[in-house]
Parts: sequence; structure tokens; C-alpha cells
Amino acid sequence: MKELADLLKRPGALVECDDDPEAVFELLVEKGWSDGLPVIPPTPERVGRMLAYCDRDPGEPVVKIPPRYGAATPLRVAANAVMAGCRPEHFPLVLLALEAMAEEPYNLYGTQATTHPCTPLLIFNGPIARELNINCGHNVMGNYFRPNAVIGRAVRLALVNIGAAIPGTGDMATHGTPAKFTYCISENEAQSPWEPLHVELGFPQEATTVTVVAGEGPHNINDHESLTPEGILTMCAGTIATTGSNNAYYRGQPVLAFGPEHAATVASRGMTKREVKQWLYEHATIPLSKFSKEGIERRFRRKQADEFADAALDTPIHMWKTPEDLIVIVTGGAGKHSAYIPTFGNTRAVTRALKHRDGRSVKSIQELKTR
Amino acid sequence: MAQLTKRGLIAAVVCSDQFMKLGTAQAKVFGVPDLPLLRIPHPLGGLGMEKVRERADVALPQLFKVIREQRK
Repeated sequence: MKELADLLKRPGALVECDDDPEAVFELLVEKGWSDGLPVIPPTPERVGRMLAYCDRDPGEPVVKIPPRYGAATPLRVAANAVMAGCRPEHFPLVLLALEAMAEEPYNLYGTQATTHPCTPLLIFNGPIARELNINCGHNVMGNYFRPNAVIGRAVRLALVNIGAAIPGTGDMATHGTPAKFTYCISENEAQSPWEPLHVELGFPQEATTVTVVAGEGPHNINDHESLTPEGILTMCAGTIATTGSNNAYYRGQPVLAFGPEHAATVASRGMTKREVKQWLYEHATIPLSKFSKEGIERRFRRKQADEFADAALDTPIHMWKTPEDLIVIVTGGAGKHSAYIPTFGNTRAVTRALKHRDGRSVKSIQELKTR
Repeated sequence: MAQLTKRGLIAAVVCSDQFMKLGTAQAKVFGVPDLPLLRIPHPLGGLGMEKVRERADVALPQLFKVIREQRK
């Protein structure tokens, strides 16, 4: 294993700058190593401290990040985590999220370079999400909470600084999304009437997982009136079934994030998560006639001719391919709101558990402290 | 296209103005910095057939030039 001091002797590994936060910020912006907001200067000492929770060789790539296919070594990721404001305890989750995104079904190249406004939504489940206080309550997708802010930001900085997702060159998003600054949440497992996402996917309850989803920003579902499961789900279906969504064309795995109060109403008569997905699969549809004439002809009749060449105009277009493709979680605080997160479409969600190198689940983040 | 080029075949990528930087950068990343990019006006998406033919008229002479030069 190479020592940090040796790695820093490599050409370009160190840049010198005045010991002044403004000077450091100006330098990083000038070099394009930024998200446009001020950062913590990634000094060798701070990067060294960040690596205290990493038992890998700091110079060995963990993954490669497109479109540059830059080598995401622990050293480089740690520098980005410092810049983002991470504590060393957050670092294993940043690496875990990057590893999940690098799995082929996620389509990191496509999601980085596309014109669509997607960005990785990180959904954490399990005990370490609670240990690190990743917010799952009020304003879960908003500001204020450091772990949510910095873990998501560290991932985004790595995607730009290591992967070269630079707007106009490697990130061709037409508008992008404010979620590209950070997009990191955890599930409110305590207030969910259903099994948490990681358990549904077959991971043990005591595992800590990240699920990465190439999502748009959240779309709100306001429903202060419905008193029944069908009422809430009808409002959800109306928000989901929109013609401009990539999921209307490419399907994929969008996310429905119920607020705890909506979830309680939906589950009040014993409806399971599987039944919720089935109901929404059947009801969150768009009749073919709602698309433009050109869209019907080109997107459906020609590009999906097997299914739609002769389809009647009242044929329902489903927003995901099979009922179970919808990802259902419960998160947020009090209030009669839920959130729907459409996706890039041509991507699959990937879930990874935090493990020791020998495959054992990590039960506390402190188990990963190496010095 | 990078793989085809590496196998010795003549290959080129059609690229609209706005995507030339991405195309150039990707050719370098994939180890084929000289991969020909056939430059057409942006956009390519959302066009009627007449405009698609116009793009083809721009791209084809560039393609013929690539083929002629690489056959030498």
C-alpha cells in the first residue's frame, strides 16, 4: 500500500496556494474543480484525516468515472469529500455510493453526459444512516442537515472533478437540476408501515445500504383531502402520469417517496407495498392520445412498433415496465405531502451494502476506523 | 466506433455542433484521438425528414472524404 506522502509526490498531485480560504476558492474555481460554491481547502493533512475510515490503498482506483473515465482513487475521492465538508465518518458512504453508480445497470456514462436533468439520488437505509444522522424527517430533500448536504455534495464533486461531468463538455444537461448540488436522503424506517427498501430487496435489517437512482428533482404531491388509500393513490397517479417524463418512453424505475402521513393512510386498510405498486401500475397511465401527433407517430408507432404500431389511441401507456419496478419508500416529516422522482429512464437503480473487505456487514461506522 | 477504428475499419461519428467538445473529448478518452467527427448543424433530434436530409447532405461529403483519405 502506498503512503499518502508518496502519492503526493506525483506530478500534479499538489498545487500551492496562499493559505487563505478565498484564495483557495478562487484557485479551484479557476481550475474548474468546483460546484460553484465555496469549499474546505483539501490540504494533505485534511485528506489524510479523511482516509482514516478507509482500509484501501489510497492510490488504487475503486472505480472509474465517465465520461473521462477518471480513476476514482480513495485519495482523489477523499480530496473531494474534504472540499464538500464531509467528516471522515462520512467517507465510506461516499465511496459506497460511487461503487454502486459504477455498476453497469446504472448507466453512469449516459446519466453523466445526457441532456436530461438527472443526478444520483442517494437513498440510505439501515443502522449507519441513523448513526450518522442522515436526515429522514422534515425537509429531507432540502437544506440544513450536514450529512445529507455533504455526502451528496462529495459524490457530485467527484463526478465533476474526477469524471469530468463539466457542463457543455461532459455534462450536456439542457437545464440540469438544483439537485446536482446534493441529493442524499435516508428512509424514515421508524415511521413506515412497510418493510424498508433494503429489506424488501433482500438485505438483512441490520445491513446499511445505499440505493442510487438517476433521478430528477422531487415533484410534490399535495393531498390534504383524501381519507382513503385509493384517494391518496389517485392523487399520486395524477402526478406520475405526465407526458414529458422520460419514464413514459424508457420506463425505468421511478421513486415514490410517501410522506409518513400519506403512507399511514395508504396502509390503513392493510395494503402492502406490492399492492400499492400494482395499483399505481394500473392507474398511473397516459392514454396514447395525450401525446403529440408526432410523438405518437415517431416515439410510439415507429420506435416501439412491436407494441404500438397499430395501438388504439386510448391504449394506456404505463410509466414503468412491470409493477415491481416502481421504488416505494417512506421519508420526510409531518404533513400531507409525498414526492415523486422520475428518472432518466435508461437506467436501473443499484443497491449496495456497506461491508468489511471480508464480506461481513458493518454494524457501526466506527468499525471502519483504521487509525 | 473506437473499437471499430482500433480493428482497422474506417469509422466516423456524426456529431452536431453543440456536441463537438464531448465528441472530441470522448475520442481521446477511448484512445482514438483522430477518430473523424462528421460535423452537422445542431440539432439532430426533433427534425422533420426534410431537415434530416439536409443534415445528411452536410455529413455525406465529409464521410466520403474520410473514406478516400483512409483508403490511401
